[in-house]
Amino acid sequence: MTSPTLTRRGLLRGAGTASVLASCAKPNADDASNAPAVSDATAPAEIGPGAVSVAFNLNGKPATVQVEPRVTLLDALRIDLGVTGPKLVCDRGACGACTVLVDGRPRNACMMLAHDVAGANVTTIEGLGAGDSPSALQAAFVRHDALQCGFCTSGMLTSCAALLQRIGPNGAKLTAQTVREAISGNLCRCGTYPHVVAAVLEVAGATPLSKAAVTP
Amino acid sequence: MSPKLLTLGFADQLTSVEVDVPAGEPPPWDGVSSLEVVGQPVPRIDGHLKVSGQAVYTFDVRLPGMLWAAVLRCPLPCARIKSISLGRAEKAPGVKAAMLLAQRGDRIVFAGQDIAAVAAERPELARDALAAIEVEYEALPFVVDTRSAAKPGAPMVHEAAVRTRKTEGDEPSAATAAGSEGNVRKMPDSRRGDASKALKKAAFVHEASYSTQVQTHSALETHGIVVRWDAKDKLTAWCSTQGIFSVRDELAEIFTLPVANIRVITDFIGGGFGAKFGASAPGTRLGFIAAELARKAGAPVKLMCTRHEEHVCTGNRPDSYQDVRIGGDAAGRLVAVHVRSIGTAGIGTGAGIGRNAFSVYTKIPHVLVEASDVFTNAGPGTAMRAPGHPQGAFAIELAIDELARTMKADSLRLRIAHDEHPVRKWQFQQGAERFGWTEARAKSAAARGKATRLRTGVGVAASIWGDFGRGGAAQVTVTIGRDATVEVKNGVQDIGTGIGTVIAQVAAEVLSRPVESITVRIGRSEHGPSVGSGGSTTTSSVTPAVRNAVEQAKTQLLALAGELFGVAPREVVWGPDGTASGGGKSLTFAALCKKLPGEAIVTTATRAKTFGHHPMSFMGQPMQQIAGVQFAEVEVDTWTGLVRATRVLAMHDCGRVMNELTCRSQINGGIILGTSYALLEERVLDRDFGRMLNANLDFYKIAGAKDVPEIEVVLTDVYVGNNSTGAVGIGEPSTIPTAAAIACAVYDALGVPVRSLPITPAKILAALGRVPGAGVPT
Repeated sequence: MTSPTLTRRGLLRGAGTASVLASCAKPNADDASNAPAVSDATAPAEIGPGAVSVAFNLNGKPATVQVEPRVTLLDALRIDLGVTGPKLVCDRGACGACTVLVDGRPRNACMMLAHDVAGANVTTIEGLGAGDSPSALQAAFVRHDALQCGFCTSGMLTSCAALLQRIGPNGAKLTAQTVREAISGNLCRCGTYPHVVAAVLEVAGATPLSKAAVTP
Repeated sequence: MSPKLLTLGFADQLTSVEVDVPAGEPPPWDGVSSLEVVGQPVPRIDGHLKVSGQAVYTFDVRLPGMLWAAVLRCPLPCARIKSISLGRAEKAPGVKAAMLLAQRGDRIVFAGQDIAAVAAERPELARDALAAIEVEYEALPFVVDTRSAAKPGAPMVHEAAVRTRKTEGDEPSAATAAGSEGNVRKMPDSRRGDASKALKKAAFVHEASYSTQVQTHSALETHGIVVRWDAKDKLTAWCSTQGIFSVRDELAEIFTLPVANIRVITDFIGGGFGAKFGASAPGTRLGFIAAELARKAGAPVKLMCTRHEEHVCTGNRPDSYQDVRIGGDAAGRLVAVHVRSIGTAGIGTGAGIGRNAFSVYTKIPHVLVEASDVFTNAGPGTAMRAPGHPQGAFAIELAIDELARTMKADSLRLRIAHDEHPVRKWQFQQGAERFGWTEARAKSAAARGKATRLRTGVGVAASIWGDFGRGGAAQVTVTIGRDATVEVKNGVQDIGTGIGTVIAQVAAEVLSRPVESITVRIGRSEHGPSVGSGGSTTTSSVTPAVRNAVEQAKTQLLALAGELFGVAPREVVWGPDGTASGGGKSLTFAALCKKLPGEAIVTTATRAKTFGHHPMSFMGQPMQQIAGVQFAEVEVDTWTGLVRATRVLAMHDCGRVMNELTCRSQINGGIILGTSYALLEERVLDRDFGRMLNANLDFYKIAGAKDVPEIEVVLTDVYVGNNSTGAVGIGEPSTIPTAAAIACAVYDALGVPVRSLPITPAKILAALGRVPGAGVPT
């Protein structure tokens, strides 16, 4: 399949790996609070255009991926690392289907380069709980039917998990309006929003919404 | 056929009705059947996969050596290809196959049409390679505006006759063309009485034009397919589809393969809403492209549309321009309706306006509905959740409200007086009480009188759909093993309604077993023939077949138990936990299964044609007319023109409710889609360049969490006697009346109508006369 001749791309790929790996080996010691955009100050100012290695923590485990600098975090996760929970929907930060946590904050993985997360902690839906032992939030999503086709669910749930983390012990004070604010960047086409809000309020221990009626 | 006395109807209107039940069908579940599992709010059985990122959609499929395809699309709305060549694309980095999809001399008819395609090792390399393809176009005259295209002398979109494209998403009873002139292609009229004559004599006549926009489906997972050739004449396709068997059939036709050599897999699909039938999308030959590239490259190929492609070439809900005349007499009755409509499905067909004007208010004696398709140089329309209906409902319901004001009639009472459907009349009445209709109308009238800045208003609209559930279409196989496992198999796809869960509930009900003990296998062609998820037919086509197959297996178990107990099978009692007893002996389900002479019982069954339609038929056909009513409340800021839908009460009939939880989800979805259509969504085409200006999700607005009204859903079990489970559809009926009810509510709030969707702030301000020199923009 691969061409036997040595190409410029191949040469860059070979040369780039060792040096960039070395720069990434130094863990990012920055306090998360003063590093909103994850970057490694020790990284070279210019890399590429061939594939270059980048290392970060993915769902609690070290991960390394070799991608061109132009490759988004989302593509690196989905194509190179096989982590397909986060979805590509709008490809421009409008829908939230690709939401992941970068150092605990919800971010659109389609709007970041893979090289932006060098040394950072990245958590995807897969890291929030496994199918056999779902988190309380995941279980509540299922119980309330906060999903239909499920394509927005990874991002939606990740945004909600970040909200619950932010609100901490004040869950009982959480209002439906706050939940709607928190997921206002997550689009759903099936219309799951009411059930998402209900699921989050229940997990937070807040007053539930009134339920729809069934007659007779 | 054997006549059976069934208890049919709804709420307090239950009656005994004799129904001819075809041989082989079990006694249908009716109003006196007491069911334990069916109808319960059982959480969906595959929910854990969706909340953990483990559900594998077509978009997530990864195969060894898989390539990524990308398609070059025509940038012009109408053009002739002067020259075309793959150029250096074939040798671009990572490219393994490339192909032309158009030839020199071809006439291209919309911006977005297929030109060429490549498959490469990574998606970005495929996109890079497209830039190397060399095409020279000669721009030709075009038209993208519906009303301009309908005029004599407009540039002709098609040079030859156009074939109607129909999918399982189209309403099964919808008609096809009745003649054409220029870009205008007429559909057959719907007519009763003589509307023109009656309107001449009517004491009150309201006449106005109503328009609706083009809406795109905007499913979150774009159209896409992965094709792998398993042998020269054998392939596997993973496809984001609403119709597994439509994908198989299309691929079989393109590549002249036996259908048995094609496997289609749709374990999960990220939304469809009517646009995902067949291996291709309405405006792009995805299935052919992916399969042909895979054949050329000798490797599996994945082709997923970009969001831009999804907006421009995978289908849409056509627009409409409806001239409505409606008349009433001095006695306060509606006497005639005449609707003349044009709409564009781009280069495609199907811009009808549904059934509302003709078939809801059947006590209006004179009705004429005329509708025509207008071709434009834009991506083809296709079925979208209740094709035509939301458009038609919007015009007729708002027109009724406008006439009611002239007649000084109560618009709700007017509706009830002209509707013959007992369920819908009941829904109007019960809903009005529950919603606080009278108080709300009084409140909005008072605010109008005082000319306050913030106004509220309420409106109501009706839904009509048919029980299009199909007999003989779904073949369900049930296997009960010696180890007491129960497996139910059918090749239906779950578009998001939770059909797998309802299948498990039905099997659990018949066997008196826990839902979690039932294994459901769906989403693959090898699991047996099934229906597409279109026309709101899935639950009503599949669940009766499930029940019938499980009943047959149970009959065999009863026979076995009878043999073991030394009694006749009919003397065996099936206990509430699945324990069989008789002749003083008993066996648990597990113990009985252990006695099976072979490995397992395997049964396969389908369902009969619909055999009942109590209390009201659809369009005179032998099927149930599904009724629904929605009440909406809006708040309008008369300074800024902002409209918020604040409250919706949805009263719906879906036959027997199979799962209260997932049913409510579907109805929420219909309302939210309808709200989005009413207030936010609009495809914008540039009239000078013929291209879509908002082919993304930031400028093509779909409703977010904060745009959603408070929703109350009231489900009414209606026992129809139509099939063995009594299910009918709900997906489409639930989105039909929302935009209409919202438009009526805006009219109630302002006292002036906004006759054009979406109801944007600009249109509100124009309607209020606050835009100097401007009329109502359309």
